[in-house]
Amino acid sequence: MAKRKKNEEAEIEANLLPVMNIMFLLIPALLMAMEFASMAAINVSPPKFSAAPSEAPPEEKKDEQKPLDLKVFIMEDGYRVEASGQQEGAEAGKAADSSKPTIGLAKAGAPLDDFERYDYDALEAKAKEYKKLFPNDVTVKISAEANVPMQSLITTMDALAGRTCKIGKFMKGTEDIPADCYFWQPIIEGGAG
Amino acid sequence: MTPEQQTQAAHDAFLKKKKEKAAARRQKPEEKAELGMTSLMDIVSILVIYLLKSYASDPVVINPTAGQKIPLSVADASIRDGMPVFVTVRGITFMDKKLVTMTADGDVDPAMVQNHLIGPLFDSFSEEADKAKQMTENRGTEWEGRLIIVGDQLLKFSTLVDVLYTAGRAEFKEFTFCVIKKGG
Repeated sequence: MAKRKKNEEAEIEANLLPVMNIMFLLIPALLMAMEFASMAAINVSPPKFSAAPSEAPPEEKKDEQKPLDLKVFIMEDGYRVEASGQQEGAEAGKAADSSKPTIGLAKAGAPLDDFERYDYDALEAKAKEYKKLFPNDVTVKISAEANVPMQSLITTMDALAGRTCKIGKFMKGTEDIPADCYFWQPIIEGGAG
Repeated sequence: MTPEQQTQAAHDAFLKKKKEKAAARRQKPEEKAELGMTSLMDIVSILVIYLLKSYASDPVVINPTAGQKIPLSVADASIRDGMPVFVTVRGITFMDKKLVTMTADGDVDPAMVQNHLIGPLFDSFSEEADKAKQMTENRGTEWEGRLIIVGDQLLKFSTLVDVLYTAGRAEFKEFTFCVIKKGG
């Protein structure tokens, strides 16, 4: 009786070596495919060079409401914002007649590589204002001075789209566009020197 | 007994005892040393699960070039399949080939640019676009012509526009800026 009990209690140890071998092979394979920083994408439309004079609008559209046609120009001393062919802050009727920025710098005198020099909050507030007036508009034309760094351009795009805007699910087609997204389709315009 | 003789006797006794111990040890069956696998298995399993969780699921794996700082953004749209071009303040790399070198100011070498068109980059873009078009034609699908621009935080807008213009001339139709998710 005692012998039978002894036999029943004998432990059978699983051979873990083959499993360990696979695990050790998996580690370098996974390390190679590891994502150290998660990447995202901003889709942009190609540059349009504005050297040629713009075409006159078709006759039948004259009576309709002017389209927003939002344009943001990133200058070294701030943003110049233009809507419906009229620069913000400029005298009415005179299109883009001011070389002064519509939104000044948040950090005046900061070097170009200080990416916080621009007033992104003010720009986002402006985008929100325009979105209220033109809820169906999603495009914005962005141009910049030659030396403006890419990080400032990207953060400007973020501000114009709304910094709480998450369009990932919309892009996959699983959700509608969130209400806190303003102008999330940027068009890069060149020819600004 | 002299002190030398005493020392010799003690030494002999020590050796005798040592031999006895060795003989006793030899008679004992050798014990098999076993490695504790369980704890090691736990560590490795946790490591594998962590790595599986951070496995890159994007269709394109972006490996930035040395010293490149990809811009940060709050954007959350995932990267779709396309050809990546690495544009830094030192040079432009496409299909693992450094095609363009920049000046000390971070501009494209003026000898390589003509009316916003970067010559060597245009040739390479056109060649790859033709290959990709042929491949998609053989598969019976349409070429999307998507270019992923992996830029640098300090990249000048003028350089970026030149790259976009060159790609547009090489019949690329869709452009995507690759960014790093803030807090992601």
